[in-house]
Amino acid sequence: MDAGRHPKINLMAFSEVEDVSGYVGNFKVTVRKKARYVDASLCNSCGECAKVCPATHPDEFQMGLSTRRAIHLPFPQAVPSAYLIDMETCLGTNPIACGKCEDVCEKKAIDYDMQDENVVLDVGAIVVATGIEPYDPTALDEYGYTRYPNVVTSMEFERLICAGGPTEGHLVRPGDHATPKRIGFIQCVGSRSLRDGAGYCSNFCCMNTVKDTLLIRDHYPDSECTVFYIDMRAFGKGFEELYDKSREAGVRYVRGIPGEVEEDPETGALRMMVENTTTQEMEEHEFDMIVLSVGARPQSGDKTVRRLLTLSSTADGFLMEAHPKLKPVDAPTKGVFIAGCAEAPKDVKDSVTQAGAAAARAGALLNAGKVTVESITASVDHDNCNACGLCAMVCPYGAITADKKTKTRATVVEAACAGCGNCAATCAFGAITMRHFTDGQIMSQVDAILEADHMEKVVVFACNWCSYAGGDTAGISRMQYPASNRLIRTMCSARVDESFVLRAFRKGAPVVLVSGCHFSDCHYIDANRQTVKRIYRLWKYLEKRGIRPERLQLEWISAAEGPKFQKTMQQMEDLRKTVTAEEVAETVEILQAEHEKKLAKAARKAAKKESAESGETLEV
Amino acid sequence: MRCGHDWTEAYDPKGVMTERSCPKCRSNSVRPLEEADAKKG
Repeated sequence: MDAGRHPKINLMAFSEVEDVSGYVGNFKVTVRKKARYVDASLCNSCGECAKVCPATHPDEFQMGLSTRRAIHLPFPQAVPSAYLIDMETCLGTNPIACGKCEDVCEKKAIDYDMQDENVVLDVGAIVVATGIEPYDPTALDEYGYTRYPNVVTSMEFERLICAGGPTEGHLVRPGDHATPKRIGFIQCVGSRSLRDGAGYCSNFCCMNTVKDTLLIRDHYPDSECTVFYIDMRAFGKGFEELYDKSREAGVRYVRGIPGEVEEDPETGALRMMVENTTTQEMEEHEFDMIVLSVGARPQSGDKTVRRLLTLSSTADGFLMEAHPKLKPVDAPTKGVFIAGCAEAPKDVKDSVTQAGAAAARAGALLNAGKVTVESITASVDHDNCNACGLCAMVCPYGAITADKKTKTRATVVEAACAGCGNCAATCAFGAITMRHFTDGQIMSQVDAILEADHMEKVVVFACNWCSYAGGDTAGISRMQYPASNRLIRTMCSARVDESFVLRAFRKGAPVVLVSGCHFSDCHYIDANRQTVKRIYRLWKYLEKRGIRPERLQLEWISAAEGPKFQKTMQQMEDLRKTVTAEEVAETVEILQAEHEKKLAKAARKAAKKESAESGETLEV
Repeated sequence: MRCGHDWTEAYDPKGVMTERSCPKCRSNSVRPLEEADAKKG
């Protein structure tokens, strides 16, 4: 409500983001304002239109427990407080089949000709707060949700006990509208189970149930509440006290999750067997109503948001932050911030805290008026660029513009570039240079490592954030690893060009290791997926030429995995010992021949280009 | 590959790429066999 009244906040309700382009400080956001068919500036929410509307539809806000009209207010405290027409439910406006709402509207706010409108906004920062979806327990057949009317979800229960709900806060069970006396709550429905739903804890369900049981005991003192749980998670300020209060109020907590719920068709009562894991006894329970405490799911629409803003998600589908501890509200894309359950399931207090932090981060960015760009960014040599567009395709940040069709050569937006180097490793024409991590610098390191005693060396490419830091962790933990492993630091494993690996083998490396962050930890959104593709290509390349592909290894090592780093280095040393001098000599010979062939081809191409250019000059 | 362990698992080269490791030794140097290679046996 406050946001709706704020002079500097333009609230665009009933709208959808269609497109986002640009970069930090210069985003262009295209928003589709959907047609409401009611002029929000004229509507005074008198509700006369809804009274005469003949078309009904299950009310989404009331979880389908009551109906709404085609013309409706989405929910009681909606901002703006204006009605809208759901055209899929309306009897029709072309031709007008009913028109009753227009007839009764004194403000003349109804406009059947209203159209969707695209609005383009120039913004400097974006906060993503797309929330969650509740888990649908229909798939868990054992609880009988949708088969038994008196089995409801915690979301439906919330509407049933809410004063603004379909029953005005009078608790009734959906089956026969009788007031339930025995109510059972089943926790972790769709949470903490990889088989049924998802493996993560949905965070707020335990305390929501505790709150619900207290409400029931307060309003209906003769009711009985029983909660079935795996373990109650009541961390947070005041939560343990609330849990104690609930137990003191007579709510029974049983540690155990019921196997199956059965309904008595005559009375509608629900029976279940459960193993109480505290007493290790089987218990039989009968309830008038069962509430399934459902977990949270990532918003299905988040995939579009992720695509538009080049964001990534964690394994469970929630949006990934730039750093879990140091940048918890920053998205990996500069100028984008995350708030609320879009990042992970959390309660209202945590959501508000995170929203405040995200707004503050965005405010600080906008107030500064300028951004500091990364010192390690990509730069394109337009003379070598042939506008193939591959670099733009692999850039995780969408920081490169290039178009093969229009022959638009690659251009890097430095403010958006994070410096992973994926583009430089992808460019087959050597048109992209990474500042401070040039091809020449890395090749020189390879050459220096293998200059002397090459048979005694293992060339290790380690990404700055995880694998190299894993080496540091091993070091500060005094973990010994063979000195034969020589590390070359790159910002991302995706910076490791195929030519770096081949050069190492050509210079006599017995073993090469490419290491980077685990998939879920990649500091450049998903750049390390390209590393995998390159390694696959290299394995194939080596195998085709009779070189043992095992000599090229790939390993994901996080900054915390010092022991894994040590173990991997030892394994590389063991592998190195299996490689003979003859094998290396043969590899060098094969790859040198390939290299010379490649150089000759490039020389022929250059000569051809030069003669074509000189020919044109003569014609002119 | 490093470990020499072989195992069969669904792999869709066009699907979403996931982090893979050998279920026996956790090595990440695992390599999908292409259909053509698989046919060759």
